[in-house]
This record gives sequence, C-alpha cells and structure tokens, in this order.
Amino acid sequence: MILDLMIWMPIISGFIILLIGKNYGSLTYWLSIFSSFLVFAVSLYALSIYDPTQVNIQFELIATWIDRFNINYHLGVDGISFPLILLTTFITPIVLLTSRTSEKSNLYQYLASFLILEGLMIGVFSALDAFLFYVFWEAMLIPMFIIIGIWGGKNRVYATIKFFLYTFLGSVFMLIAIIYLYIQTGSYSIFDFYNLDLSKTEQILIFLAFLFAFAVKIPMWPVHTWLPDAHVEAPTGGSVILAAILLKMGGYGLLRFSLPITPEASNELSIIMVVLSLIAIVYIGMVALSQTDMKKLIAYSSVAHMGFVTLGTFVVFLNHENASIDNMNMAISGAMIQMISHGLISGALFLCIGVMYDRIHSREISDYGGIALSMPRFAGLMVFFALANAALPGTSGFVGEVLVILASLKVNFWIALLSGTTLVIGAAYTLWMVKRVVFGKITNEKINDIQDVSAIELIPLMILAIMVLAMGLIPEPLMNLMYTSINNLSELVFLGAGL
Amino acid sequence: MTFNIIGSILPEVTIAIAICVVILINSLIRNVSVTFIHSVILFFLLFALFLSFVSLELPDSIIFNGHYVIDTFGTNLKIIALIAAILIHLASIKSKLNIKNEIFLIQLFATLGVLILCSAYNLLTIYLGLETLTLSMYGIVATNRNSIDATESAMKFFILGAIASAIFLYGVSIVYGVTSTLSLELIEESNLLDSLEMRIAVAFIACGIIFKFGAFPFHSWVPDSYQGSNTTAAIYISSVPKIGAFALIARLFMDALNVMSDFWSILILSAGLISIIIGNLIALMQINLRRMLAYSAIGHIGFVLLSFSIVNEGGISASLTYLLMYILMTISAFALIESISSEDRQHIELNDLRGLSNSHPLIAFMLLFCMFSMVGIPPFIGFYAKWIVLSELVNNGMIWYALVGVIMSVIAAYYYLRVIWFIYFEKSDQPIKNNGILNTHSITSVIVSVMLLLIGLYPNPIMDYTRVIISSFLLID
Repeated sequence: MILDLMIWMPIISGFIILLIGKNYGSLTYWLSIFSSFLVFAVSLYALSIYDPTQVNIQFELIATWIDRFNINYHLGVDGISFPLILLTTFITPIVLLTSRTSEKSNLYQYLASFLILEGLMIGVFSALDAFLFYVFWEAMLIPMFIIIGIWGGKNRVYATIKFFLYTFLGSVFMLIAIIYLYIQTGSYSIFDFYNLDLSKTEQILIFLAFLFAFAVKIPMWPVHTWLPDAHVEAPTGGSVILAAILLKMGGYGLLRFSLPITPEASNELSIIMVVLSLIAIVYIGMVALSQTDMKKLIAYSSVAHMGFVTLGTFVVFLNHENASIDNMNMAISGAMIQMISHGLISGALFLCIGVMYDRIHSREISDYGGIALSMPRFAGLMVFFALANAALPGTSGFVGEVLVILASLKVNFWIALLSGTTLVIGAAYTLWMVKRVVFGKITNEKINDIQDVSAIELIPLMILAIMVLAMGLIPEPLMNLMYTSINNLSELVFLGAGL
Repeated sequence: MTFNIIGSILPEVTIAIAICVVILINSLIRNVSVTFIHSVILFFLLFALFLSFVSLELPDSIIFNGHYVIDTFGTNLKIIALIAAILIHLASIKSKLNIKNEIFLIQLFATLGVLILCSAYNLLTIYLGLETLTLSMYGIVATNRNSIDATESAMKFFILGAIASAIFLYGVSIVYGVTSTLSLELIEESNLLDSLEMRIAVAFIACGIIFKFGAFPFHSWVPDSYQGSNTTAAIYISSVPKIGAFALIARLFMDALNVMSDFWSILILSAGLISIIIGNLIALMQINLRRMLAYSAIGHIGFVLLSFSIVNEGGISASLTYLLMYILMTISAFALIESISSEDRQHIELNDLRGLSNSHPLIAFMLLFCMFSMVGIPPFIGFYAKWIVLSELVNNGMIWYALVGVIMSVIAAYYYLRVIWFIYFEKSDQPIKNNGILNTHSITSVIVSVMLLLIGLYPNPIMDYTRVIISSFLLID
C-alpha cells in the first residue's frame, strides 16, 4: 500500500497537472512540490517502520495482473532497493523546487514529466515481477526523452534520440532474456528466477543479455557515449535526475538480476567486468581531465565513479582463494554507498552548474574564473561538492570508494592500486575545474555583475551538502539498513557460484 | 430451418440492406445532408454489430450446401471488423472536408466483403468475398477522382491487385484439379499428399493472401495507395481488410491445408521476416506521414505473419492479438492525422507537424501516445503486441527470429521518434491553425488513443478474447 501510494501519487498528480496546467500555471508549481514532498514524507514514514534486521521483502504487495501469463503486480522492498527509493523521493522535490529558476516554456509540462518520471522510477526499484520491472523500466524512457528533447540545449534532439535508442536497444535484449526465463519457470516472479537451475551456456547468454541493458544504463565503457551528450544537452533538472537516479538503475539491475539469477556466469565473466570497470575508472578519468565543458566533465566523472559500482559488484569473484562472504558484503556495500553518494554529489554538482548557467549562459570552463569573488556563498558550496567528488575523507564519496578499494585489495593488489588511482585522477579533474571556474581573476566581465545564490537555490544545495557530510561521517545507519539484504544476496551468490 | 439460415447471416444481410438504402437516399433525395447519411450508416453498422453479438449464441453450423460456416471464430472476427468499421466511420465524419458520400458507400461494400470472408467455407465463396473487398478497395483509393495522385495509385493498385487475384485463382484451380472439390471441409478430408502440384497451388494461394495483407513481396501497392488517396481512405484500407485477410489465412491454411503446414509456414515466415526488415528500413527515409505509416504497416504485418508461421494455438492467437492491437494503433494514428489535416493540407509531411504541441496540445499528446505505442514502449498496447509475439517465438525455439524482430523494432523507433521530435521539439512560424471545434472525429480519435493506454494498463480482456477465438477455431478440427 505504501509503495502503491509512492508510485501512483506522483503519476496521477502529473496527469492532473497536464490537464489543468494550461490555465493554472503557478498553482501547478506548488501542486507538484506538494505532491513530491508528500511522497518524500511517505517514504520517511516507510523508513520509520522498515525493519532492517529482516531478510524478507517488506511492504510486499501482490495482485494478479495478466493471469494467462502468470504476471503479477508484485511490489516490495529490501535493503538494496529501499535506499535507492529514498534517494529518488529525496532528489525529486529538490529538482522540482529549482525548476523555476530558469526560463522555461510550458513549465507545467516540465513539472508533470518529472512527477510521472518519479513514480516510474520508484516502480523500477520496487517491482519484484520481472515483467512489471520491464514495464516501468521502459516507460521511464518516455518522460526522460521528452525532458531532454523539449527543454534541452542546442543539440538536444540528437542527444535525446541517441539516449532513447541506446537504452532501448539495450533493454530489448533483456526482454528476450526475461521471456526465456519465464518459459523455463512458468512465472515472471524474480524470486522464481533465482531458484532456476540453468546450464552454464544458458547462464552466460542470459548474463550477457541483462548486462547489455544494464551496461548501457550504468553506463560502462564502451557503451557510455550517450551519457556525455545527454547530460550536456539536458536541462539542469534532467541532468540531476539522470545522474542521481537513472544511472543507478543499471547498478541495481546487476544486483537484483545478474548476480542472483546467473551466479556462475557472473563468476566466469567477472574478469571482463573488472577490466571494463578499471577502464572506466582510469581511462574515462583521464578523458574527464581534457574536457572543456563543465557538464561533460561531470558526465565523464560519473562514468568513472560508476566504474566503482561495477568493480565492487564483481571483483570478489576474481580470487577464489580469498573469496569470502564478508569480503563480498564489503564490496557490495561499497558499491551501494557509492551509488547513493554519487547520486547526491553529482546531482549537487549539476545543480551548481545550473546555477552558473542561469547567470552566464555558458558551460565552457574558459568563460568562467573568479566566481568566488562575486558569489562567495555559492563558491563555498561548489568547492565542497568538488572535494566530495574527489572523495575527500569525511564526505560520502570517500566511504564508497574506500570500501571497494579495500575489498579489491584482498583480491588482488594491482586491481586495488589501479582503482586507487582514481583518488588522484578524480582530484585532478575536479579540483582543476574548480580552480579555473571558482578561483583566479575575473576574465569575463559578466561575472562582475552577477548575484549570489538566492534562497531557493541555496537551500537545496545546503541540504545536499548536509547529507553528503552526514553520510561521510556516520555511514553506519545506511550500512545497517542494507546489511541483512546484502548478506543474504552474498550467500545466495556464493552458493550459486559454488565458491 | 429457413429462418435459422437467414438468422445466421443477418449481419451480412443488414450491411447489404444498408448499401441499398444509402444508394436510394443518394439518388432519390437531392442535397441530402451529410449528417443524415452518416447517421443512417452508423445505425446499420451498429445494428449489424448487435446482430453479430446475438449470433454468437447460435450453434456452429455449415449452411448453403457447405459454402458458408457459422462458428465462434467467424462471428468474432465479424464483431471485430464491425467495431473497426464503426470507429473508422466515426473518425471520418468531417463535414468540412470535400469528401463525397460515395466513399462511405464503398466502405460498406468492403465491409460486406470482409464479413463474407470471415464465414466463407468454399473457395468460390472465398473468392466472392475477396473480390467484393478488393474491388471496393480500388474504389476507396480512387474516390478523390480529381487528384492525379489518387487516380495513379488506384490504377497501380488495380493492376497489381488484378494480377494477385489471377494468381490466387490459378492456385484455387490447381487445388480443384487435385482434390476435385472446392469445399474447404472436403479439401481437408481428402487425404491430401504434399505433392508438387499442391505445393505450387499453395504458393499461388499464399501470393493472394500476402497481397491482401500487404506484406513483402506484394507490398508495393501499400505506400502508393496510402499516400495517393486521402486519410479517410487510408484509415480504412489499413485496418478492416486485414481482418478479412486473417480470416482467409486461418481458414485456408490453418484449417483446410493444415497437412501442408510445413510448406506454407516457410512461405509465411519468410514473407513476415522480410516484411519486418524491408518495411522498417524503408520507413526510415520517408518524410510524408502517410507513406511512412504505410511502410510501418508493412513492418507490423510482418510480425503478424511471423507469429502465424509458428502454426500452433499460441502462435496464431499471438498473431491475432498483434493484428487487433495494430488495427487500434493504425486507426488512432490516421484519425489523429485526419483531425489536423484540412482541405488545403491533405499531404501531411513531417515539417507540417512543427509546433503542433502548441496549436493542438491534446492531439499532439495523443500522437505521442500513438507513436510510443507503435515503437512498442510499455504501458501502451504496442508493447504487449510485440511481447506476446516474441514470447511465442522464444517458446517455440525461434529465438533468432525474435532477435531480428527486436532489433528491427529498435531501428523502427527512430522514425516514430522523429514524428514526436517534429511535434514537440521544433518550433514553427506558421503552425497549423486550430479551429478549436470539438467534433465527432477528433473526439473519436482521442478516445481511441486513450484506449491505447487504458488497454495497456489492463490487457487481460483482449488477450483472453483472442485466445478464446483461436482455441474455439482449432477445436473444430
């Protein structure tokens, strides 16, 4: 019931806004904010009654949907999906709040798209029926396509069609895999898939089919090329949601589908996954160094940071002698924390870039310099998020990366060393950007005249900063929230992979 | 007894009466109001629909010396055809457009042909229904007789159609030569052998059927006639005749010539597969909306045939499900295009759609539904259509064909997205004027488009329905 409310309330209010928006422009703004805050409140209530010590699925809801194919409307959360739902309900109100800071045509359509998107994203994280999951997963493309296409930058059409086709191509293979699993089990329930006895060849093919869908979404090297385009062209809110939540769906999919359904294949192909992750971390980090566009830089840094998620998910399989459930728990916890923390930090950085873009109308690093002189409050926050992006100890970015690096260290020294280079490379590209944008002399005259951030821009950034700091200093509560489910997952995977 | 026989063909009789009545009204009353004609036609169509529902209760029977069969399968297909005809009729009511009444009259003829095809149980009756349908379709395409395009496309259609009919008839005559009967029932019982003559006959008959579906290699009439004629004509020829074609393929191939399913399934499979590829690839290059939809229709029909070639209950009911959903989508698409076209703007091109989201927000939003449905994105029905066909393909070990299908769907997504791109992402200096009047056709088009979403949210009924139809059909054997 709680999940139902969280999925359908934003979708329905989105449609209401679409209906009445033409005549009641400013009312729709408050309506959308009210509705998204209500969803956030519901999710906080859910958090208060969620029992993290239970292995079972909570808030479970099951109803027949298409009985001929044994498809159920099956929702529920566990320690892996619940933090991501909280992230979704937390980020969306922030995005909606800041939606009025820049000029937009048909603002109500923009708000409605985000509300519908929010419902669908919560649906993806809470669906426990593979068919239902696919429905939410694909339906999500529609509002995102619209958001980038209508309110994006100059090259928006190219970017949004590229985004759509890439993700669509990835997901159709997943659809075939899901249909195949259904034919083997006679059910679309994800948990029935877990118990399936698949041969090694089948596992590898299914793993690859799922991987294609998730790798595009994460995005992993070499299918990441849609991301810089989509990020650069998307409006600020679109970039924030894209970076903060959409990318997490790939990582979530790996944990929900790939590992437990095809553990043997995960074990077998882990070397490929680790190599791809390291390429993302090291090579894409280098690519980020050479960017001149701020949004592109953050986009590439997202690819590099998401590399830690895939590394954490698969690294433990590499060394069978040292593989232990504890190490797996640590690696997956690291991956999860990295996802949440990247959601907060990259979201915040895109908001910061949005704030500057609204004033100067440029994303080029070279157009900036000396922001700190005219926008001192903003500059402080921007520097803080940049440091968090570079994984400064005490921020949430540090916790995730260190957990993954520690887990890798038990597997292989060289993997840990290579992934550790991110601390250097990450610091290099983020801080160098901050140096050129925030500090130095003012070269662009426009910067002299701009105002510092207004309250409506400042508050979301402050809240995000507090969250980043809190997670970095006391990651305990979040880890406790996830521990039981992650432990359960590790045991399942170890059993399945025969480790 | 006599009453029973007449009773079972009442829907056809009603349509025949409607045709006479409309002819009489048109010739006897001068300056008859268009609304009046529309109401008469609608009344008869609804009455025929009602009678078809009533005749669902009748026991299965073969009447007219084995020429005609009354069964659940045929009656349900009639119901579908009549509902489609009613929707199309509602969507075409547009008094401002300079469309002669004849087109609605000829549509009634075509509908009669489809109804006959649904129940025909003898090759002669089948040919009768087929020709009633085909000849009316030439007429529908040529209605706009002042337009060179329409005349040209009708001419092309006529020549190709005549050749296809001749080939079909030649196949029928070979069947008669081998089995010395034209009755489907007797052909089925005649202990056919998979001989060379029969293979030739089946191939010829398949040509006729594939032509009716408008699939590769007999697809070339589709784009020309969609583009050359007007939207009212295109909406009809893209939907209702396909139901007749489905009845034809089910009765002839699945029922009468089931023994040779190994042979004809290869023909249907290759026609379907190549249609998916050709249709979607060529559609990528189109800028005229109707022509683009024509090629996309070829691609959709490819899925119907691909699924039919599985030759089992699951495959054929998936095929019918896809067909139903395709018909709903195509009616929605053409009806929406109809409601933004005007007399001086008959050839809608992609460029004409610029700024539609501002001038016609509702129609634009509905076109968005329709296009995403055609791409196959849930929760719109187009997704369920693709998914159910893919399920059956994977279930029957045809996973490679399923892969071709999905990859072509991704490629196809581009040209559907391009429509949305022009509607929403491009601004226009001269947007299409919105007359702001809510009329029957725009209300119908909106309702049909909303159905794409509503059925998508709860697709159970339509899936159960097609399954019931097909299983009752296969039970008779």
